[in-house]
Formats: sequence, C-alpha cells, structure tokens
Amino acid sequence: MPTVLFDCDTAIPERKRHCYIKEMGEDTTQYLPSSDISTIPGTLSERGCAYCGAKLVIGGVLKDTIQMIHGPVGCAYDTWHTKRYPSDNGNFQLKYVWSTNLKEKDVVFGGERRLKASILEAFAEMPNIKRMIIYTTCATALIGDDPKKIAAEVQKELKDIDIFVVECPGFAGVSQSKGHHEFNISWMRDKVGTWEPKITSPYTINFIGDYNIQEDSYVCEKYFHKMGIQIIAHFTGNTTYDSLRGMHRAKLNLVNCARSAGYIANELKKSYGIPRMDIDSWGFEYCKIMLRKLGAFFSLEDKAEEVIAEEVEKWKPKYDWYKTRLPGKKVAIWTGGPRLWHWTRALEDELGMKVVAMSSKFGHQEDFEKAIARGTTGTIYIDDGNELEFFEVIEKVNPDLILTGPRVGDLVKKLHIPYVNGHAYHNGPYMGFEGAVNMARDMYNAINSPLMKLAKEDLRGG
Amino acid sequence: MYCEIKEKERSGIINPMYNCQPAGAQFAGIGVKDCIPLVHGSQGCTMFVRLLFAQHFKENFDIASTSVHEESAVFGAVNRIEVGVDVLVQRYPHLRIIPIITTCSTETIGDDVEGTITKINLSLKAKYPGRKVFLIPVHTPSYSGSHVSGYNAAVQAFISNLAKKGEPNGKLNIFTGWVNPGDVIEIKHYLREMGVDATVFMDTENFDSPIMPDKSITTFGNTTVEDFIDSANALGSIALCRYEGGSAADFLKEKFDVPSIVGPTPIGLKNTDIFLKNISKLTGKAIPESLIRERGKAIDAMADLTHMFFADKRVAIYGNPDLAIGLAEFCLEVEMKPVLLLLGDDNPTYRKDPRIAELKEKVDFDMEVVLNADLWELERRLRDKEIELDLVMGHSKGRFVAIDYNIPMVRVGFPTFDRAGLYRHPVIGYNGAIWLAETIANTLFADMENKHNKEWILNVW
Repeated sequence: MPTVLFDCDTAIPERKRHCYIKEMGEDTTQYLPSSDISTIPGTLSERGCAYCGAKLVIGGVLKDTIQMIHGPVGCAYDTWHTKRYPSDNGNFQLKYVWSTNLKEKDVVFGGERRLKASILEAFAEMPNIKRMIIYTTCATALIGDDPKKIAAEVQKELKDIDIFVVECPGFAGVSQSKGHHEFNISWMRDKVGTWEPKITSPYTINFIGDYNIQEDSYVCEKYFHKMGIQIIAHFTGNTTYDSLRGMHRAKLNLVNCARSAGYIANELKKSYGIPRMDIDSWGFEYCKIMLRKLGAFFSLEDKAEEVIAEEVEKWKPKYDWYKTRLPGKKVAIWTGGPRLWHWTRALEDELGMKVVAMSSKFGHQEDFEKAIARGTTGTIYIDDGNELEFFEVIEKVNPDLILTGPRVGDLVKKLHIPYVNGHAYHNGPYMGFEGAVNMARDMYNAINSPLMKLAKEDLRGG
Repeated sequence: MYCEIKEKERSGIINPMYNCQPAGAQFAGIGVKDCIPLVHGSQGCTMFVRLLFAQHFKENFDIASTSVHEESAVFGAVNRIEVGVDVLVQRYPHLRIIPIITTCSTETIGDDVEGTITKINLSLKAKYPGRKVFLIPVHTPSYSGSHVSGYNAAVQAFISNLAKKGEPNGKLNIFTGWVNPGDVIEIKHYLREMGVDATVFMDTENFDSPIMPDKSITTFGNTTVEDFIDSANALGSIALCRYEGGSAADFLKEKFDVPSIVGPTPIGLKNTDIFLKNISKLTGKAIPESLIRERGKAIDAMADLTHMFFADKRVAIYGNPDLAIGLAEFCLEVEMKPVLLLLGDDNPTYRKDPRIAELKEKVDFDMEVVLNADLWELERRLRDKEIELDLVMGHSKGRFVAIDYNIPMVRVGFPTFDRAGLYRHPVIGYNGAIWLAETIANTLFADMENKHNKEWILNVW
C-alpha cells in the first residue's frame, strides 16, 4: 500500500491519493500521487493563487516594466517585497508596484475607467518607463472588466508604449500554477514575434524558467557567454520586456523550471520549430551535464569543457570540504514542485545526504514522475502538503534540515529543526558551481547550528 | 505656516502603504486563543497574509482558506465554507472559534455567510454534541477600506457576536488596536502597576514566542471566547486606537452601557498621561509612584536629546492613521517637525479626527497631511525636490525611498521586516517614548557618522 493516509487526515481520506511512500521495486507506472487538483478547504494548504503565479513569479521579475494590478490594493501589496530577484538596473522591479485600488463603486459600475486613469497616471509619473503588464484579479474578473480594450485604447493614445494583459484571477485553476500557464500562453500569443532582437552570435538561446533568485541568472549567463552563446531572452530573470518579445529568434530553448515556463518552450517549438532542451542547474554534476548538452547542441564541446574545467578548479576544493561533512544528513524538500526533482539527486549523489520527504505545492503529474523516478525508496512524496501532515512527516522521518519557505521555517524552528530557504535561498546564488557550494555551506551551517543543540537542553529537574 | 489637508489626486496607487481588509481581519483573528481564521476567498488572500505576518514576527500563524476555485465563482462558494469548517473542527480538536472572513471575490459573488453559519451550526450540534465551536461572520470585502478597517470590523464582529450581559465583572476592556507584543506587555505592565483587572483585546503578547525544550508551540493569541462574552460586563472600555477597535468599544457602550473612552493612542508623554488618567477615571485606581518614576525617566531621556539633536528636524510619517497621528504628536513633543503625514485609505472621517484638528491649530510650520495616500506621495515629493527631510518614520514598505534618497529612517508600525526584533519594543507608553526617542537619536547619529556630518559633535554631549 504505497499511498498512505496520515493519522491527521482521517477526516479527509481523499488525501490518501496525494501521499506516497516509494517502495522497493515500484515505479511511477504503478503509483503516482494525485496532483494539480482542487485543494480541500480548511486544510491549511501552502498554495497560492493564479494571480501570484503570473505576477509574483514571472511578470514581476521584468526590470523595466510597470506592474499594473487591476484589483483591490491587497493583491499589489502582498506580492511586493516578498521575492529576492534583483536586477542590474537598480532593482526597479523590487521597488515599485502599482494597483488600480478597486473600490466598491467600481465593483458596481465597472472598473475600466479607474484602470485607464491608473495606466495614464503611471506612465505620466514615470515618463522613462514605456512598458506595462496589466494583471486581472478575482474582483475585476468577476465584474467583467475588459482590460485588453483599455490597453488598446491607451496604446493608441500614447503610441510609444506597449502593454501586455494577463487574465489571471486568483480563483482560476487550483494554485499559482494556473497563473504561470496563463502568462506563458498569453505572452506567446500576444507578444512573441513583435520585436526583433539584434543577433550577435551564431549560437542563440532563450534561457527559460529562471528568475534570477539571488543572482542565479548572472551565474548561468556567465557560463553561456564564455561559450560564445547569445541569450536572446531570459524568461524572466533580470530581463526586459522587449527581449521577451524577440524569443522567436533563438535557436534553442534551454528550460530550467519546466513547471512555470515549459509551456512557452513548447509553444515556441510548435510555432517556430525551436527545439527544447531541459536542464538542471543546481549541483556540480547537473551543471556539467547542462553545459555539455548545450555544447553538443551547438558543437561547442570544447568551450563547454573549458568552462567546466575552470569552474570546477575554482569551486571544487570548497565543495569537497562540505562533501565530507554532509553525508547521512536527512533533508526534507518542501517547495513549489520542480525543485523536488532538481535537487534530490544532487543532494543525495553529490553530498551524500538523504532526502527523506518531499512535498510540492503546485507540481503536476510530470513533476511527481520525475521526483519519484529520481528519488529513493522509503522517501515520502506529498502533493499539496498541509501543516498537520508536515508535523506527522517530521515525527516519522526526523529530518536534520528542511528546505522550505521562511514561514514554514519559522514554524519548524520551534521543533528544533533548522530550515534553509528553499524558495529564495539563505545566501545565494545556489545555481551553478559556485551556487552548489553556497547551498552546501548554508545547509552545513544550519545543520550544525549550536543553537538547535542548546534548544534541546532542559535545565529543569537537574 | 499652516497645515494643509489634502487627498491623493491620482486614482491608482503606486507603492501602497496599506493592505486590504481581509489582511486586517486575519490579524485580529490570530490574536484569539483556540482560533483558526477561515478566509473565504482565493488561496492567495491567505497565503500571502500569512507570509506577511511571518516576515514581521518571524513566526508562523495558522490561517485557513476555503480555497475558492473557478466553479465557485459561477455557482457560489458557500459549500466550501461548510467543508472548510468541518475539516478544521475535525482536525483541530482544540478549536473553539472560527471567524469566517470574506474577501472581494466572495463578497462579489454574494455568498450568504450568515445563512451558511446557521446551517453549519445545526450540523455541528448534531455531529459534535458537547462541543461548541463559535463561527463568527466577518465581512471584509477587499475593495472597501483597508487592513485598518478590516481589523476594526473583525474586532467588532467578535464582540458583537459574542458579548452577553451577565454579572458585572469589575474588569476593564482594553482594545489595543494594531500593536506589537512589546506594546501589549507595556499595557499589561501599567494595568498591573495600577492594580487594575483588565481584558486585553487582542492579547498578542505571545506573538513573541520561545523555542522550548519540549518543542511546544505557543505562538497564539491569548484572548479567549469567554473574554469576548464577558466584555459586556466590564466596568468600562478603553480603545487605544480610534480606527482599530474603536467601534467595538462604541458597540459595547451602545448595546450594554459599558462606558467607553476611545483614544488617544498613547504615543508620547501627553497621550500616555491621558491613557493613565482614563484608566484611573474608569476604575477609580490611582496612578502609582512607580509610573510617575517611569514617566520621569522618559522625560529625562527625551530632554537629553531634544534641543540639541531633534529640534526642527523635518520628518515624514506614514502608516496606520492612529499610529501616524500619534507619532506626529510625539514629534512635536520632542521639537521635531512632522512636515508630511501620509494617512491610509479613503475613510472620510480621518479628515474630521480631532487630533488632526489639533495638529492644524498647533503647527507653526508648513505641514501637509495627505489622505488616502500611497508611498509615491512621499517619493515624488523627494524626486521633484518639493520637500527636504531629515527623517522618515514608517513601516518597511517604504524602505527604498529612504535608501535611495539617503534619508535616515526609523522603522515603526507594521510590517517592519527589514529590521530585527522591532515587534519586541513598545512604541506606546513611557517606555515606548524612550524607545522612540533613543532609536531616532541613534539613527540620526549613525547617519551623521556615515555622511561625516558633524559626527565629532557626538564626542561630547
């Protein structure tokens, strides 16, 4: 009985199909937890909404774009200052957010007039900014506003500006995943092919599904540039609006986060015949494979080997120091989805750690197929895990470390378990060779914190 | 030389200084013991607010969502409240109270929350005889007011749904408003010193909670169901914040004749004096020597700093209205000039606030009060060189304005995620006045040193 019903879930037996423990000899053709389906109300799920998937994860990363959120103020407020994706232009994208501040009378009479006024004001207040993304939210979708009509009107009036509209009300789909999808598909449909990039190299790629979390993008781009590869568009770390309009000109789509951005790679293949290459960018070995695959595609094998040799020489001694100190440590990965399968082998094969539990907020079947295929037996795999399940998992597997978000980290510290920020990192970047060292360092420091040992000591009763 | 009160002229917001109503209701909800708020809306309305609280307190708070999805937008989502409550009640046996907090989506759909609660109450009674779980409807459409009015609405909902006339309990109701654990501790300290038995709504002292050897988790509010029920039998109510809990005090006065005093927010000496006198007035207890000594220490600490370092310093203040107004009053006490005051949301009564009227009368310098403001009101004035500032006071959402324009900033209010442990310190009361004065001083001192601006003055003072 590989799917399991946790004790805390007796009231919601349907959770059984979301929780799986891999047994010897099983594979995903036999058992696969259900995923990407509706959340049970009241479970204290970790999931967000479609709007945040579109704005916070993908669109909000653009470094030269007004983020106009058409809805009540909270949608803007709550998706601002919650991410660590810097840019090389002074972090415009981290500093500003825009809301139409929808009010009751707009709900009654329609919010389009307010939207238009807000758009015009936004461009007027920052005359150097010429690009905008409009996001719909629950309220403005329900009242039936037509932001595309308004965007078209403004584009006619202001001429040198460009506006993209994403319809991503929070209630759409079952998690933030729906918002990723909406953004991908709408961008492809409305914007790709409307701008021509300047081609400077015979080797061109789109780097897709990396959001420059703690400067990840800079690390990867450095490798690609050393190989002589031009990045047409970076979807969407440290990126510009217009570069993403030129995605059709790349010769290869290199896909890191397949969950949030695999869709646009597929669409680019369908429409423009651009091949898709999926990679992992965390961990030494995966980075080597990434660069070798890329080198092979462009017949730049020697260049790839040069980059690998240089990086390995630089970072291996540091990495080795941690490699001898982390084996046997039990780690749980409770993140969005893809990092389960990106990380499990890297942590187990390279650092000798044991990934004992994984939970995904919004992963789909294919994420679990990959995670379970790469993961080991005895490991617990959970879709849309909730708080009581987490407590029970901790009881069962007693992890030394949890890779998860800061709020869950704040919770598990009470249980004397350290966390490392699995979404935004403690001190990244975590991608690339240097990133692998950073991640190993942060995990080592967390696991060996003197505080958590002291926390266990009870001075009462001698 | 006068104080001008105006409204933000733009329709939209660039960099909001306030959140939406459900966020405020959730903050009130986590202050209650044996309570998990159930937010009726999309998952993001809960997930991000939980993250926001975690950013500020570095703690986890349990808040549930009805996870409204697409089909509910079409057919109504009341069934998701029913399932949500049932799941919570079954999986959390200690649970005694669940506020059901609406959002923009479910208010727009028009879900009948009260009717649903009546229906659920019947089934709960049948399913769990001997167990009572209170369900409290909290209507907080995100398109009205702000987190301030949402907090106020939730506190009032708890009180109006639960308060019940019984025997007089001789206690004082204190409605704290949106404050930090450090403030709650300060309030309790005064009540103890004065020998006053009181109930604190919401008692959030344990939001600053320990890691214990037995791994127990105690990051919960301490205000109980009984506290709400018994609030009708108090000898009086004091609401420290007019816009955050004030209407609950008003409700108890109107419905149950509980005498109430609303405000002033006890920030600074004079406001704290009034607070203590108000406690005295309602309870007949004297203000003890110990608090006179604390008051004296605060005056002493502030006097060391005012003319030499604070006088004429130009300050911009933004945040929750009660806090921002209180800070402006504090600034006047220490000879600083609050030249720009940004107050949140479109509540028309801010304009009529007697404290604003008093500021208007008092100030002998040019001052602007911007209502329904956003943080662009601050940044644009700086960018266009319409204003010169020596200090910014407000929550962390305005941090980049201070950073980019190189203005020293004192983080105060909610959220203050870019400084460590601020929730531990009071801003209200005499100790709050000391903390504010010394934090402002040390912030200015560090800035003098960073800019090599007469930093040698600090050699001797």
